[in-house]
Amino acid sequence: MTTAGMFSRLDGPVSFALPLRALAVLGLLLGLCCVLLIVSLMAGSYPLGALDVVATLTGRPPSEMAQTVVWQFRFPRTLAALAAGALLALSGAALQNVTRNPLADPSLVGVSQGAGLAVVAAIVVWPDLPQALRPLLAFGGALAVAALIQGIAMRRTGGATMRFILTGIGIAAFISALTSAFLTYGQIDRAVSALGWLAGSVHAAGWSEAGMLAGTLLCLVPALFAASRPMAAMRMGQDVAVGLGLKVGRTRAALITLSVALAASAVAMVGPLGFVGLVAPHIAHRLARSGVGLHLALSAAAGAALVGAADLVGRVAFAPVQIPAGLVTAILGVPIFVWLILRTQARPA
Amino acid sequence: MRLKCSTAQYDEPVEQRDAPRLQLRDASVGYGGAPIVRNVSLDVPDGALTVLVGPNGSGKSTLMKAMARVLRLDAGNILLDGRPIGQLPTRQVARRLALLPQGPVAPEGLRVRELVAQGRFPHQSLLRQWSRRDADAVEAAMEAADVAQFAERPVSDLSGGQRQRCWIAMVLAQETGLLLLDEPATFLDLKVQVDLMQLLRRIAKQEGRTVVVVLHELNVAAAFADHLVMMQDGRIRAEGCVDAVFNAANLAKVFGLDATVVRDPVSGRPVCVPRVEPAVLHTPRIAAE
Amino acid sequence: MIVPLERPGLSSLAPLLGIAAVSLAFAWHISVGARSIPLHVVVEALLSYDPALFDHVVVVDLRLPRALLAALVGAALAVAGALMQGVTRNPLAEPGILGLLVGASFAVVVVVGVFDLTSPTLIPLVAAVGAVLAAGAVWGIAAAAPGGAAPLTLILAGAAVMAFLAALVTVASLLDEQTFEQLRVWMTGSLAGAQNEVLKWALPWFGAGLIVALAVARQVTALAMGEETAIGLGTDVVRLKALSLFAVVALTAAAVALAGPMGFVGLVVPHAVRLLVGQDYRRIVPWSALAGAGYLLVIDVVARLLLAPVEISTGLVTALIGAPIFVWLVRTRL
Ligand SMILES: Nc1ncnc2c1ncn2[C@@H]1O[C@H](COP(=O)(O)OP(=O)(O)OP(=O)(O)O)[C@@H](O)[C@H]1O
Ligand SMILES: [Mg+2]
Repeated sequence: MTTAGMFSRLDGPVSFALPLRALAVLGLLLGLCCVLLIVSLMAGSYPLGALDVVATLTGRPPSEMAQTVVWQFRFPRTLAALAAGALLALSGAALQNVTRNPLADPSLVGVSQGAGLAVVAAIVVWPDLPQALRPLLAFGGALAVAALIQGIAMRRTGGATMRFILTGIGIAAFISALTSAFLTYGQIDRAVSALGWLAGSVHAAGWSEAGMLAGTLLCLVPALFAASRPMAAMRMGQDVAVGLGLKVGRTRAALITLSVALAASAVAMVGPLGFVGLVAPHIAHRLARSGVGLHLALSAAAGAALVGAADLVGRVAFAPVQIPAGLVTAILGVPIFVWLILRTQARPA
Repeated sequence: MRLKCSTAQYDEPVEQRDAPRLQLRDASVGYGGAPIVRNVSLDVPDGALTVLVGPNGSGKSTLMKAMARVLRLDAGNILLDGRPIGQLPTRQVARRLALLPQGPVAPEGLRVRELVAQGRFPHQSLLRQWSRRDADAVEAAMEAADVAQFAERPVSDLSGGQRQRCWIAMVLAQETGLLLLDEPATFLDLKVQVDLMQLLRRIAKQEGRTVVVVLHELNVAAAFADHLVMMQDGRIRAEGCVDAVFNAANLAKVFGLDATVVRDPVSGRPVCVPRVEPAVLHTPRIAAE
Repeated sequence: MIVPLERPGLSSLAPLLGIAAVSLAFAWHISVGARSIPLHVVVEALLSYDPALFDHVVVVDLRLPRALLAALVGAALAVAGALMQGVTRNPLAEPGILGLLVGASFAVVVVVGVFDLTSPTLIPLVAAVGAVLAAGAVWGIAAAAPGGAAPLTLILAGAAVMAFLAALVTVASLLDEQTFEQLRVWMTGSLAGAQNEVLKWALPWFGAGLIVALAVARQVTALAMGEETAIGLGTDVVRLKALSLFAVVALTAAAVALAGPMGFVGLVVPHAVRLLVGQDYRRIVPWSALAGAGYLLVIDVVARLLLAPVEISTGLVTALIGAPIFVWLVRTRL
């Protein structure tokens, strides 16, 4: 690659080349996330000034209340929103690359539906279930359904991608129908409570959730970035990828497992927050062109910013009523996305 | 292995090792059902250009894919540097052997330089994402395949022949001792075909690399091949240096082609001229009823 | 070279057998109910109606409309799905991706929730209008994008509009439990509440959609091989897309008006059909119509029988029974 427009280091044991524009966009998105974090800490029923927030964060809270509001409620919640957005976006980006299908998102591997079914069934059938068990249930449900789809789709060779997509469609439809059945024929108040969870919401997130999400992000993301070069080879089609020395079957399985893990941990904490996984990678494509690795980073940042903003808006806009972040994500993300569609040529994964 | 009948008017093959790098031993391969290619044995001569010809559906691509370990063998063995290719780590194979499959499709929007850069995949690692050596190899490959002037354009915007040359550049960037190209000359005009074959021949002769190419243009094959392999119905029907193999009898047997083989007075290479039924040439047009 | 078009795995008798099977399902559908009516009485009532006989009245006035409804909705959604997948060349496409189903839900939720209109003849109309408006919005966005309404742009615009409207529907449901309560069953797709009147005005749209679908089927096969190939084969691609979209919108709007936003059939039946009859849309379209109709007839019977006298929403049963069958098909056929 030429070094014009590149940030590169070509000699020595560590060598790379990165496009400058994409790096700039990435910087902007990360900046946006920081701004969202600060604003989220300021806004709410107990408003704080920017200086108060900074003071609280640096250990000199202006009041007891500020200390509690920032550290107990707003900070972990915002962190959870940002991390969940990033995780779902990464999962979607990986899946779109692996399947070479721009419509792929975490619901294709059954993660959202599995988590949804597990929790909704629990809410409807066993309403006394402690809230604390929901993440566990969601995680289990997500993994179980994802494993079911993989197990059914992966057993034979050849035409793997198409079979994987179609199996995903079939199983997902089945699981969604079960969930709908619970919602439709369960008791109305429980159904509504379940509906709220299904929409994806971070309002219950505390430090344990935020810590868990941030931990997942830190553990799994390096793995995903390590996988970015195989992913790029994978996009060239099966025969070429084998020719380039890629273990195609194993790589596909590993990448899908990774995206399942990413999405499942996010869904476990905040519910099946839809749309980010589908749309964040496309937003990233349309903001700047880049190789696969940088595109992953851009997607993650875009997803984080989207969910962070959605949580902020959903919390503040109709206060004291809180609109689940999942819903605001769609309501907020769609206009942005449509604007991007109208501005730029399609540049599919 | 030495080519059995290299004559003075051909370039001498470069110094050979004892065993050829790529050997097929009774290889049978297919797509899950009955094997398509059956019991093929072949020693691919090193430092030479081997051309695979045969009618459509005769199993050339299947054989190529087997040689590049894309397809698993049903029976027999394919040895790369003396070891079964299926047992070698695939990354290691990719540093020694490059494959250009028939009719590859680039992801939409990918630029030429990015496509060619993919050829460096087997040489990279987590820390060595992109090095000077990679950059140089990509530049050289684009230069050799004559696509440097399109470097920044999306592959999907190029003409069919230009696109084909980008893929060839990708394979060249892989810098392997063995090159397997499945119909690299499709979509290329005759001049570019000739340039490509000269390039491949140069690679084989000067750098001692081993090149296997599937071609449909018989006369191009005859003009450039060191070693000619004729396939039909999943089997090798004739194999050897061009002079020994490229004759009317074999063309009739393998292709069902009725042709006269003459010799180009300049190169001394054989040329086939299909015989056209005199009836077709001379019969006046039959008036419509 | 001329290759005779063989139907993979199907003899020339297959269409006849298919029609016979659907007719049988139709008759069975009518015969099943609170009062079981023998098949031969059903056939008599349909062929020589005698208003003096109680059974005949039940068959023609009460049960025939619902059977017709099931058959029409199934056929309409399956054909619309097949066309969508062919035109966009994406296996994940379905009528819903144009925003048709969510558009219908959204319009109904707004009308019921905000204006408190619950007239059973009005809801279908509202649903149809909502569906068409949403599809119009999707098409508008895609067409305004640089490069025009390429399949990918269309799909992405559809997914976006869909997510947007679905979020609004959920917000409305969360804020207004009353409306949610009223519409819960309708939103999963149900054949129970439809009106004869609605059937009457949906019928022409259904007919028009189906005729157009059959007419463009041959060219959709060409389009499925790529836009350039299609043009090379003499297809006017722009006109073809417009016609196909008209068919999809007409069929889906009619179906959604009759049965609410029923998801599964449009996505999965075409895939199942394709696995069985191959890639030629001249076969896929009519077979999708047959398969969709037959499938929904059988499912509707099951929905009524399964927990009788309680009736389960047909939209749910379609997926619960159909999905395992589909997965099995994928596993054995692909
Ligand atoms: N993916 C596949 N699955 C099943 N059969 C295949 C597949 N690919 C090729 N075949 C069959 O294998 C046989 C040999 O095909 P192959 O592609 O090797 O021919 P070829 O000699 O390369 O022909 P061409 O000159 O047209 O490229 C053909 O009969 C073909 O139908
Ligand atoms: Mg071939």
